[in-house]
Amino acid sequence: MNQMNRALYMRRRMRNTVFLSLSVFAAIFGIAWLALILYSLVTKGMEALSFSVFTQMTPSQGGTGGLANAIAGSLIMSTLAVVIGTPIGIFGGTYLAEYGRHNLLSVVVRFINDILLSAPSILIGLFVYQLIVAPMHGFSAYAGIVALAVIVIPVVVRTTENMLLLVPNTLREAAAALGTPRNHVIRTVTWRAARAGIVTGVLLAVARISGETAPLLFTALGNSGWSWETLPLGKAGTISYPAMDAPMASLPKVIFDFAGSADDGLHRLAWTGALIITFAVLTLSILARIFESQREL
Amino acid sequence: MNTMPITDKVRIDIRNLSFYYGATKALKNVSLPLYDRKVTAFIGPSGCGKSTLLRVMNRIYELYPGQRAEGEVLLDGENVLTSRQDLNLLRARIGMVFQKPTPFPMTIYDNVAYGIKLYERLRKSQLDDRVEDALQRAALWNEVKDKLKESGLSLSGGQQQRLCIARTVATKPEVILLDEPASALDPISTAKIEELIDELANEYTIVIVTHNMQQASRVSDYTAFMFLGELIEYGTTERLFTSPQNKRTEEYITGRFG
Repeated sequence: MNQMNRALYMRRRMRNTVFLSLSVFAAIFGIAWLALILYSLVTKGMEALSFSVFTQMTPSQGGTGGLANAIAGSLIMSTLAVVIGTPIGIFGGTYLAEYGRHNLLSVVVRFINDILLSAPSILIGLFVYQLIVAPMHGFSAYAGIVALAVIVIPVVVRTTENMLLLVPNTLREAAAALGTPRNHVIRTVTWRAARAGIVTGVLLAVARISGETAPLLFTALGNSGWSWETLPLGKAGTISYPAMDAPMASLPKVIFDFAGSADDGLHRLAWTGALIITFAVLTLSILARIFESQREL
Repeated sequence: MNTMPITDKVRIDIRNLSFYYGATKALKNVSLPLYDRKVTAFIGPSGCGKSTLLRVMNRIYELYPGQRAEGEVLLDGENVLTSRQDLNLLRARIGMVFQKPTPFPMTIYDNVAYGIKLYERLRKSQLDDRVEDALQRAALWNEVKDKLKESGLSLSGGQQQRLCIARTVATKPEVILLDEPASALDPISTAKIEELIDELANEYTIVIVTHNMQQASRVSDYTAFMFLGELIEYGTTERLFTSPQNKRTEEYITGRFG
């Protein structure tokens, strides 16, 4: 230490201070924008927030109403898109990480998946329009669900693969060394070890599709009332279910339409819709985290 | 090579075994017998092929592409390196414990029951008995009997390693392969593992890879010294450590290289 070069040491300390300041500044800069967005979202979204938002249909220009049909439509379409997209995504990601780590098929699939992951979502809307809407001669909730599922798949494939790659090979070896068949190792050990990460991937996909407008423009379109179909059951009365072969309203599409209108009331509803989406995704994420931390095994 | 005639029964007979990692030859024509209910230690400097040799016996290397073995490994006279050998059944007969503890992300109980449930349909009470028995054998029962429903990952490193031994023992294998099982553990845990190996040798054929020559001399009946992929010397541990016949063996065990 007696030989220490004081200038060298001071310079290093200074560099450390500069580096730390830059990092702190960048962090604050980034978070500040997020805080501003959230602030305006909450203040403006609260204006039109009332019970009727959840019970009344979307109004037309100049009218009053709520977002009930859009909320229901978003819930139905997002849920079904996740239900369809998640298993495909998890199995796809599992193939890439567990079975086909080095083979050509995996390289090709991984490449295409990366493209799909960053594809503009309007392109996916157009694709599904060509695939389903045009041949069926009409917009439908089905088409909207397919478009959203196509967005879910690459997100889940990517996160599943990455999370499985983080599971140490020693764990796979230990399971295999007991005489465990490959699929059993995957189901009982590697999926388990990667579960928190895979759940995060699914949540990411939920968050992503909850706010997507473009893929729904040419598929589910929108609707100003309930999309219900009623089936008579003779003496037992009737049964109602969502009409999946007809256009269906969704929150992002309603926000898109209302935000572009000249009506102040519709503007306020659009803000409220945005607040509802944000809050729903946030709640879901928090619930999943709590759920995940409760079961530490 | 041996000064005393060996009367022990051969359990695994390795004949002319060569092993390749891609183009690299990691084992060169290795032949040696492993004796029933004896502890055999593989020693040698890093990269000598001792772990590789261990990993051939249960064919765990086949998880990775580009690794391949040539030659024969006879288990009770049957070559296990043929494609006719069912891999999972082979691994159920030859258990393995790894260098780093590898508890599965599940409860202590489920960790031990995991391998049993693969091959046996037992009633809950029978399974409970088997789990307890395995944990007893691994000298872990007293420490975990009140927290069987807790995560296996909540245990200390030494306990985790004994859990892994319990998991291996629980399936009742015939041979147990130990790949430097104590190298990541503190001296007290190491001593426990060594005691355990002594106990297990009454029932199982045990092969242990170790960096630690004192450990090899303490726990093993036979020792094989390997160097650069070749088997340099093999014999009873006592003979090999007291009167090594090869110059390199002598240099290694006296700490002059490696």
